[in-house]
Amino acid sequence: MKTVARYLRLYRIFAVQYMKTVMQSKLDFFIGLGGFLISQAAGLAFLYLVFQQIPVMKGWSLEQLLFIYGFAQIPRGIDHLLTDNLWMVGWQMVIQGTFDKYMLRPMNLFFQIVCEKIQFDAAGELLVGIFFVGRAVAKGVVTVTPLKVLLFFVSIIAGSVIYTSVKLVLASIAFWVKDSSPIMTTAYDVADFAKYPVEIYAKPIRIILMTILPFAFVAYIPSTYFLIDANIWKTVAAECGISVLFWLFSYSLFKKGLTRYESAGS
Amino acid sequence: MTKFFRVYWTFAANQIKSNFVYKGRFYLYILRKFLGMFIYYYLWMAIYASASSGQLGGFTRSEMILYVFLSYTISDLVMIGISSEIGKDVLDGSVAMNLIKPINYRLYLTFKSLGVMIYRIVVPSVFIWAGLEIYKVTALGMPVSSPAQIGPALLSILLSFFIYVFFDYCFGMLAFVTTYIFGMTIIKNAALNLLTGRLIPISFFPAVVQEIFSFLPFTAMTYVPVMIWMGKYSGTEALYQLGKQALWVVLLYLLGSFLWKKIEKRIVILGG
Repeated sequence: MKTVARYLRLYRIFAVQYMKTVMQSKLDFFIGLGGFLISQAAGLAFLYLVFQQIPVMKGWSLEQLLFIYGFAQIPRGIDHLLTDNLWMVGWQMVIQGTFDKYMLRPMNLFFQIVCEKIQFDAAGELLVGIFFVGRAVAKGVVTVTPLKVLLFFVSIIAGSVIYTSVKLVLASIAFWVKDSSPIMTTAYDVADFAKYPVEIYAKPIRIILMTILPFAFVAYIPSTYFLIDANIWKTVAAECGISVLFWLFSYSLFKKGLTRYESAGS
Repeated sequence: MTKFFRVYWTFAANQIKSNFVYKGRFYLYILRKFLGMFIYYYLWMAIYASASSGQLGGFTRSEMILYVFLSYTISDLVMIGISSEIGKDVLDGSVAMNLIKPINYRLYLTFKSLGVMIYRIVVPSVFIWAGLEIYKVTALGMPVSSPAQIGPALLSILLSFFIYVFFDYCFGMLAFVTTYIFGMTIIKNAALNLLTGRLIPISFFPAVVQEIFSFLPFTAMTYVPVMIWMGKYSGTEALYQLGKQALWVVLLYLLGSFLWKKIEKRIVILGG
């Protein structure tokens, strides 16, 4: 318990330091945010324009789809916000030998890497996500019960862990192939499929989205519980199970990659 | 005239050559594009499955499938752009070098992009288009695209390319007056995704919006060539659209020259 408290304290110190550097270019941040919001607006304009022509899509209404869309953005945003530095692992750190500097410190490596960068760009994803979830609640698209609220937060956390774990797995591949950033970007693109109901995709894609790149569990599957009261075990609980599994797998893969890195004689 | 082409053509040729070298990266790039196309393919299949009529926004389901793939490939050919290079040059100062040389900066950048475009026509556009034709005839039961459609469409694509390059040059001028060009590029790309019809056919927009769009160059960047290719714009309509495109090429070229004169003055005054 003491280590957790210690790490939380350390994180706060790192975060404050990082924010000071970032705050120096506030305008850059707002322009980046503006850009992101406009790109979101484009995707949403698509949905809106399409639903001028059809009342429902495979049984889902526009309002429900907007909830799924927003619900998908929140875990993605949280992961983007906190663990953006993992991209560096897949891209540069192995090649440039940056791990040496981390290994010298008496701190958990994963923690060090992750707290070095807080990607405030993710504010866009979080804003959009929160807005559409809130809107869905206000419009009564989702019924609110204490249990649902609790499970909502559980699902968000589990979803973020899934995102982080997938990123960590792919970043760790860099220990073997030096630069895994192309694979990481491709996988991240696949996550885009998760914004929409997974049932519209062909079977092979659905299988991928539920197994090796389980992004279907981040938003769509749990949202069926929130929207149409699907079975808790098949949705939110399954999501938690997958996130634990993936986390354990990704972290051990990361550890394994590190030993390989060390033994390469750094 | 030939000297002109000989000089500037080397920039294009070099670009083509270097693209051949970085093949691995390129294939991954193609894969990512395909992923994007397929998301929309499935979305449209689901949308049409839920539609009461066979036509949405003037497109049947088969036509919409073609639209998705055509708009993606064509916008890939057209929207190569030069503003990010201008931005980079300005930020690292190498733009000064480019201005000293007896080469027209804009033409230099245009030919470089032309090289990329030519490469992308061969790899993979021609293959995708061939694949689309086969798919059209076998799976969709539609006739093969006639030369009367493809010919003007190719011309339209070329015009679109120049419209976009000259537009992007004007946009690139922003790099001289602000350091936030990269953020603004994100905004530009996002907005263009919607405005050029790449995401959704312009015919889905409310009539008022479509009217406004007809006075802007954006539909000419992707939507027009796609519509000509699909035969939706044909005969006099196609000629009219091609004429409009040519007009935009001229207008944006002049605008670029005008903006450059202003920027040049500013740079000189600031002692650049």
